[in-house]
Amino acid sequence: MELQSRQRIPYWHWVPAAFALSGIVVFIFATFGPPASSSGFVSTLNGFFAWMAPEYAASKAHYRAIPGPGSWLFTFVLGMAIGGFIAGRTSKTIPMRDIPPIWQQRFGESRVKRYAATFFAGFLILFASRLAGGCTLGLFISGSTQLAISGLYFGVVIFAVAMLTTRLLYGKDAGKEDSQ
Amino acid sequence: MTNIWLGLFSGIAFGFVIQRIGATDAHRMARSHLMLDADIPRFMLLTVALSAVGLFWLQAVGVGRVLPLPTSIIATGLAAVIFGIGWGLAGYCPGTIWAAAGEGRMDAIFALLGGLTGTALFAQLHETLIPILYEPTNMGQITLTDLFGNYGVAVAALVVGLGLCIWAIGKLWGSADHERVDLFARRTASKQAVDK
Repeated sequence: MELQSRQRIPYWHWVPAAFALSGIVVFIFATFGPPASSSGFVSTLNGFFAWMAPEYAASKAHYRAIPGPGSWLFTFVLGMAIGGFIAGRTSKTIPMRDIPPIWQQRFGESRVKRYAATFFAGFLILFASRLAGGCTLGLFISGSTQLAISGLYFGVVIFAVAMLTTRLLYGKDAGKEDSQ
Repeated sequence: MTNIWLGLFSGIAFGFVIQRIGATDAHRMARSHLMLDADIPRFMLLTVALSAVGLFWLQAVGVGRVLPLPTSIIATGLAAVIFGIGWGLAGYCPGTIWAAAGEGRMDAIFALLGGLTGTALFAQLHETLIPILYEPTNMGQITLTDLFGNYGVAVAALVVGLGLCIWAIGKLWGSADHERVDLFARRTASKQAVDK
């Protein structure tokens, strides 16, 4: 019995989950246009600068191109956070933690180290997304759905590089013993 | 105004689903990238295949808006390399950052702050970097339709290609499915033991 609760897979099966998510993606194409999430970061900053330094916001092409917080792009990422919150609060089985166990095993329990690493990674991810014009959702999923070469090209490279980075980071034998 | 509510509603649904599949769990993402868990990559590719078919249907009935992003060989490729390093390091991408931060994962909140910093820096450098990195190798908004000459054929080719990738990932990656089967076997075995 004890073994059973430890081995349980708390996540949805990938096939119905993919049907659910693609339903949402198609709904977004029908009611708005190509979904995007890295643009939500620009939208957030646009709102901040329009309030703190309106002349600066007006002088930069990147902020002129993407609307502020009163837009679909911002409410979508805000909704993502709310959706994550609701899903987290209503699931008793999906583990919630500040530091992933696989990281803890390799780099110890230091919160500072993990938070510094994710801050730096977040920096890289968004800098890159803004250079490419989109992210996993806005370029890979959204672009590939529209058959864009940019989305497929971006998708292949991000998967390959992320796999290589993860391997270099955690080593060959990391994480093999546990199921979630 | 409608757009604000549509965005919020779509975001909540999206965030909920990606939490339930475990994409907001950096531990599970790391295991996916280590080829130990096939569910997330198969989930992503199947989502794209199904969405492409759905969008084909939307286009056929004349609903919705499309805007494929241009391909810049250098900028898109270089960005993908930097992105991949960050994705591997944190286990988050821009969308999952929001959902995981909402869930209350502290490391995602720091990734969110780092993301805002990265965005601010790029916005500052946009006028310098786009002409150097993006424009010279910009191929325009090319799609598979340009390659295959027909939208329907191109969608079919994408679906077949992704199907093959999903099959290959199922073969090459370890999968939570095996453990599901084990669990079922064990549950049945322990039930029989109890019955006896």
